[in-house]
Amino acid sequence: MITRRNVPYVLILPALAGFLVFKAYPILAAAYISLTTGAGAARSFVGLDNYVRLVNDPLFWTSLWNTGLILVVQVPIMLLLALVLALGLNSPFVRLRATWRLGVFMPSLTGLVAYGVMFSVILSKESGLLNWMLGFLGVDPIDWLGSPFWARIAIVIALTWHYTGYNAVIYLAGLQSIPKELYEASMVDGAGSIRRFWSITVPQLRPILLLTIVLSTIGTLQLFDEPFVLTGGGPDNTTLTISLYLYQNGFRYFDFGYAAAIAYALTLIVAGFGLLQIKLTGGRK
Amino acid sequence: MINRRGALALLLLLPITACGGAQPEAQAGPVKITVWTWKPASAGLAAVARDFEKANPSIKVDVQAVGNPAIWEKITIGMAAGGKGLGDVLHIGVDYLPGYTEKFPGGLADLREFGADKHKDAFAKGLWPTVLGKDGGVYALPWEVNPAGVFYRQDLFEKAGVDPATVTTWDEAIEAGKKIKEATGAYLVGVNKPAAGGADMDFYQMLLQQQGAFYFNQQGEVTLGGDAAVRAMTLLKRMNDAGILADISGEGTFKQLVSNGKLAVLPWPAWAVSYIPEMRPEQKGLWRSMQPPAISSGGKRAAIVNSTYLSVSGNSPHRKEAYAFVEYALTRPEVINKIFKEGGVFPALSAAYTDPIFDRPDDYYGGQPALKTFTDSLAEGADATYYSSDYARALKIASDAQTQVLTKGADPAAALTQAAELLAQQTNRKLASG
Amino acid sequence: MTRLIRGWPLTIVLAAVFGLSVGPFYWLAMAATHANSEIFSYPPKFYPGDQLLENTRKLEESIGLLNVLGNTLFVAVVQTAGALVVSLLAGYAFAKFTFKGRDAFFVLLLSTLVIPGGVTIIPIFEMMNDIGLIDSFPALILPSLSVPFGIFLMRQSLLAVPDDLLDAARVDGAGELRVLVQVVVPVMRPVLAALAVFLFLGAWNDFLWPLIALRTPEMHTLPVALASLQATTRTDFGQVMVGTALSALPMMALFLILQKQFISGLLAGATKG
Repeated sequence: MITRRNVPYVLILPALAGFLVFKAYPILAAAYISLTTGAGAARSFVGLDNYVRLVNDPLFWTSLWNTGLILVVQVPIMLLLALVLALGLNSPFVRLRATWRLGVFMPSLTGLVAYGVMFSVILSKESGLLNWMLGFLGVDPIDWLGSPFWARIAIVIALTWHYTGYNAVIYLAGLQSIPKELYEASMVDGAGSIRRFWSITVPQLRPILLLTIVLSTIGTLQLFDEPFVLTGGGPDNTTLTISLYLYQNGFRYFDFGYAAAIAYALTLIVAGFGLLQIKLTGGRK
Repeated sequence: MINRRGALALLLLLPITACGGAQPEAQAGPVKITVWTWKPASAGLAAVARDFEKANPSIKVDVQAVGNPAIWEKITIGMAAGGKGLGDVLHIGVDYLPGYTEKFPGGLADLREFGADKHKDAFAKGLWPTVLGKDGGVYALPWEVNPAGVFYRQDLFEKAGVDPATVTTWDEAIEAGKKIKEATGAYLVGVNKPAAGGADMDFYQMLLQQQGAFYFNQQGEVTLGGDAAVRAMTLLKRMNDAGILADISGEGTFKQLVSNGKLAVLPWPAWAVSYIPEMRPEQKGLWRSMQPPAISSGGKRAAIVNSTYLSVSGNSPHRKEAYAFVEYALTRPEVINKIFKEGGVFPALSAAYTDPIFDRPDDYYGGQPALKTFTDSLAEGADATYYSSDYARALKIASDAQTQVLTKGADPAAALTQAAELLAQQTNRKLASG
Repeated sequence: MTRLIRGWPLTIVLAAVFGLSVGPFYWLAMAATHANSEIFSYPPKFYPGDQLLENTRKLEESIGLLNVLGNTLFVAVVQTAGALVVSLLAGYAFAKFTFKGRDAFFVLLLSTLVIPGGVTIIPIFEMMNDIGLIDSFPALILPSLSVPFGIFLMRQSLLAVPDDLLDAARVDGAGELRVLVQVVVPVMRPVLAALAVFLFLGAWNDFLWPLIALRTPEMHTLPVALASLQATTRTDFGQVMVGTALSALPMMALFLILQKQFISGLLAGATKG
């Protein structure tokens, strides 16, 4: 019988069961694996060796640097674009809003295979859509995948294409929730549109901005799809991310212990960032 | 071992299992074996599986095209889980085979148990050592072998006034390439220079293999910084500097270059004999095949680029039946040639080459018996390469070095020396001396 | 007057963004109508070819299209529905009840958000094998029922629901189950719709786990079936393009259906935390 007293336990039971079996146990198992080397019958306990190796592995630091670089450049650009896009979509003067909204959201529907094929066609140097379009503007073909600089830009472009609409739709929801009265009152006070943006829109959107910043940061720190399908981490490891390096060690080199150690390092970093962000943006649970 | 994890999971999942998720292996009726492979090889194997079932009514064979590269993730996870959930028969490439045998002991079945040793001289020279584990076990039978070759555009060579018969070394090929570029605008060869989406080392590896070299020697020492490696990389650099090495990064780039006649040579092994006509049917009559030019005058032109195998999962309850099928499919000339005709997989079985199909003039290649180039290579004594269990790391590191040379103008010797040291350090292997 | 002047430039800018977003899809749709050998031509083809039916027929032949779409839809729908229920129940408990270990469990749950999925896949695979669930739909669905993000979203949204509303129903004599179904669910409908889109997206596109967990081709989901078309250099992109284009359609439909509630739903979750 469900009573007021036991009801929370009943409610939580499915989530708890799923958590224990499919999250807690595998995570603990991976923690143990990170202390071993070899696989299957050849597995042996090596203590903290994998972590020591990690600290001395230049490729790990390269992947950390690359991931951080993409994070610092891409997340602000994308979120800013998404905000501008949402403001546009929210404008009462715009026609066909529902159409633009669907279109803008569509990139986030793309699965990995489609994404890879599309962008490798778009970014190809000799015959890509992007260089073809730039050609009309008189721009010489850019070596999107071949130059260390442009390959990183290519990852940023692909990521931005993929997720800007997603964030814009979230912002749009936030914008629509801001009470109209706030704007009306401010217009009576004679505030211009720029001041209204800073004094009303931004503060009202704060919780939602925080949500997208946290989710985008976690997402970018775990970045895998884009470098996996577009650059393979190249050229010469300039787009190698932590998650991609983890994958290579596990699935290509069969070095599961080391891969698990990388995962734990990544988790620590992500958790650290999460805490820092929450602290900096003014504590919210 | 019914451990706590199993017990816990069992407790929580009992209601679902009870309504029919798990299906214990049916004991009655024919034994069913599952084969994991990929297209188009799967088509040929499926065809002979039906014949096999007729001859062995107690065994059913289910040939599944898992897809390549998806199959590697599927096999690797099964191996990491102690061989659980794997197909009974696995199609494995030479690049993965040593990794699976050495890093997952017991993952693949030792086929000596079923007398596989007796086939040791049946396959193209050099292949048998590649199926042996460090313990001397036989962990696979060779299915496919890819002798090196080059396909060239007869019309472009003609237009540039180059007689392909005079191109016997890569030095001569570079000179020919310059003339072709000038006369037709076509590049000699294409390479994915930044390795976008994955390493493109087949051409470089062929240049190594022609010298009987590779990333490792037979003792497993690192040779990536050796003379042969530098010589091959220097050839690539010279082609690159001469402007005759196209960059084919990006999904469509390569196909466009080929369809627009901008690539004069495809340095592709045997499987391409059936692929080129499929890819560019309208270029019928324009292509020819020949053995690759040698590295140095009078040097070896033949090489085995790669090979693929069928293995039996060490965990399979039906290893015997699985091996029976593998043996049936791979060791009989008439059967392997049926697979070849259906799925375009160039057979590793030496006895297969007496079939008239290997000497038959091919209209697509202007009446040339295109396959003969490759059987000739094998007859000439092409050799197989030791890929080692650390091939994936070597490939990655070598590919980075190639990218440095081709896109940043790095010095081949310097880039490879550094790469070899990194490889040795990462894999705990010795650098080969000299 | 201002409407005209201000509306058009903005609309044109949005149309351009729309073009950039949808352009690659348009190319994809056009590619699906060309033969494999014609797909990667230059300059790119922006007009339809005549191979759509042929590509679709070949795709049906290689993967059993209807069956595969059926599997994917079944798995995605069950998984979405299940995860919605689990998230709702747990979110409700976290937001509206006090119980022992609540905060500790919540923090633990959230911290799993940051663990990369690839790490847990091998232990889960072994477990599924040990209990004989591998190669079954439950194997696909079960691991994705307890979704931290979903629980988080539901909790944040439910925090905003006034307790008075629930207590009023209880005073009227409603049992806990009835309070949930008759009071909480209607209030949460927009958030549930939003979450449904996210969960469905994830389930529909999931690749690595279904690839590993399924053995029988007749049970494959669309991403796994599309991967089976890949053959290093010999992939038939005509088929891949048709399959990819088809796979986007159900998600577009779902977005269109749910977008009204979706948009107001997100707002409830995100602004009132």
